[in-house]
Amino acid sequence: MNSRPEHKINRRQFIARSAKAGASILAACSVSYWFYDRTAPGRSEEGASGVQIPDFSMSQLGQRMSIVRGSTRSETLELALKSIGNMHAFIKKGDRVLLKVNAAFASPPMLSATTHPDTITALTRLCFKAGAASVIVTDNPINDPASCFRLTGIEQAAHSTGASVLFPKKEFFKPFSLGQAQLIRNWPILYEPLSRVDKIIGTAPVKDHHRSGASMIMKNWYGLLGGRRNIFHQDIHTIIQELAMMVKPTLVVLDGTTTMMHNGPTGGSLSDLKQTHTMIVGTDQVAVDAYGATLLNKTIDDLAFIKKAEAMGLGTADYQSLNPVMASI
Amino acid sequence: MNQKAKSKTTAQQTLLSLIILGILAIISGSVFLAQFNPNPAVQQMAPILTGGDKSLTEPSASAEKTFIPLPAGQSPLSPAETFDAVTLSDKINGKAELYLSSGFVRLHSQRFEDPTVGDVWIEVFVYDMQTPQNAFSVFSAQRRDDAQTLDLGQYAYQTPNALFFVHGPFYVEMVASDISESIIQPMMAFAEAFIAKHPIQAQTIGEKKLFPKEGLIQTSISLVSADAFGYDRFDQIFTATYRRQDSELMAYYSRRKTPREAAELASSYRDFLAEFGGRSAESDLGIERAKMIHILDTYEVVFSHGPYLAGVREAPDKPSAQELARQLFNQIKEASRE
Repeated sequence: MNSRPEHKINRRQFIARSAKAGASILAACSVSYWFYDRTAPGRSEEGASGVQIPDFSMSQLGQRMSIVRGSTRSETLELALKSIGNMHAFIKKGDRVLLKVNAAFASPPMLSATTHPDTITALTRLCFKAGAASVIVTDNPINDPASCFRLTGIEQAAHSTGASVLFPKKEFFKPFSLGQAQLIRNWPILYEPLSRVDKIIGTAPVKDHHRSGASMIMKNWYGLLGGRRNIFHQDIHTIIQELAMMVKPTLVVLDGTTTMMHNGPTGGSLSDLKQTHTMIVGTDQVAVDAYGATLLNKTIDDLAFIKKAEAMGLGTADYQSLNPVMASI
Repeated sequence: MNQKAKSKTTAQQTLLSLIILGILAIISGSVFLAQFNPNPAVQQMAPILTGGDKSLTEPSASAEKTFIPLPAGQSPLSPAETFDAVTLSDKINGKAELYLSSGFVRLHSQRFEDPTVGDVWIEVFVYDMQTPQNAFSVFSAQRRDDAQTLDLGQYAYQTPNALFFVHGPFYVEMVASDISESIIQPMMAFAEAFIAKHPIQAQTIGEKKLFPKEGLIQTSISLVSADAFGYDRFDQIFTATYRRQDSELMAYYSRRKTPREAAELASSYRDFLAEFGGRSAESDLGIERAKMIHILDTYEVVFSHGPYLAGVREAPDKPSAQELARQLFNQIKEASRE
């Protein structure tokens, strides 16, 4: 009771203290205002809003798929395409065609870490034969693209058949946001080649992949991403699913002539490879990958990205429901 | 004076002020530290990550230098490149995770040619894994089935187009661009030059002595650095495959920091197996704290002894699981006495 009167403050003290407190608050607010960054983190979608990726699929043709067994790529590819209506069904006179290959590593064709030059030669020839006005071959290997295209034999194969090779350049990338996507938000993609073609064909070898379990058609669209895309490895199945949402190809060609069974995606030894003598061609990238999984002795239960893509309605994992044409040479 | 005494703060007020100031200091410190670890969503906006300023992340390259003293007649075909943990995936893409989870520090790579073997080129990858154990881990994770053992130290083999070996903390790969009988010779010369340049004391990874000998497939011994058997708490696990009565099964062990940690980890792994349908199976193992679990038509045994966590996996039947578990237990018991 005695102490209370001692703690009473008079009006002058109250005003002084209030002024000090007010000044402190004002100073804190001023500092906050000073540091406030009106632009960061800058997740404005403005830059991405103008970028649209066309739908290159030909839905009027329905779902088509063929699986041809044989050891010579040019022959299996030709028969596989013939089985589903020939290249003429997909490529029309005057079409500008983009071949999205796998040129991720500067490794020799023998190691099957990249799209085989014979597949590119055969595909390009068939495109031109069907009347294509131009064929562009591209990919975005982050490390040293020139070496990747040269040492894989892809550059020579493209040039030998009249196709051009488009090396990724900084100005070819544009920020892109995929509707409903979690990961592809305002992310740089290799947009330039996509913007100047009428048709897109995805082609990749069948490979084991340390992170995703397999690298085939859907995973191969990863090469359209720019930037520090390796952060997506933390959620690899989702990014593959989103890539399949992003690209609706005209046709896909999965080369299972030689399959990298172990130590993918780089491999490095012939011991990692198995001759599986199979070429898979189709319009449903989910179905094509689902069949590719069998070459790796895996099921769709082992490869979550296939299930996720199917769940998004991007295709069917039940490739048999498409009644694929089966043939052997 | 009286006025002054009246305005003095009490001990309670002082304490309260100090607590508030302390909280503010903690918040300031947290904000300061948090700015060094931004969310990936923010990271992707940074020029360094979106390709705007590649100079900051480009691997270093030098056209003149080689990281191996070149044997006579051989010359570099490309600049030497160096990759760190941030840039490793630029070189090896999805396989980077294997190295990053095993203590990766740096990768040096370069292509060489030897005119005496035609147009064939050789790419050399030297992974600095910090310790011999880490180097052995990535070596063993990628060992090829048809490998031919090489006399280049304890852990080395060749395949038709490549050499792979561990030298101290380094895991080295030499990959030729084509197959030829003559290509192995220059690769061996590179390997010997590298070993000569990096003298180290012979070190044995202590994985062999604990595995029972009977039925052991010698080349199957591996060290799994992380996420062994799909369980995220299992790291630094040595595994070995056994062939017994026309079937294969696996033994594994890991030395933990304390017996308590080993026992707790064994228990949590049993819980993990139970989550995926594992059921306790009756057994007469004669090993203290060991449990047998029936899962997916195979049998597993999990136990701990001292600081060792150990077990058997993928046994086709109870007797083979029991037999291997007992043999492994005896080896571990013996090692614990030493």
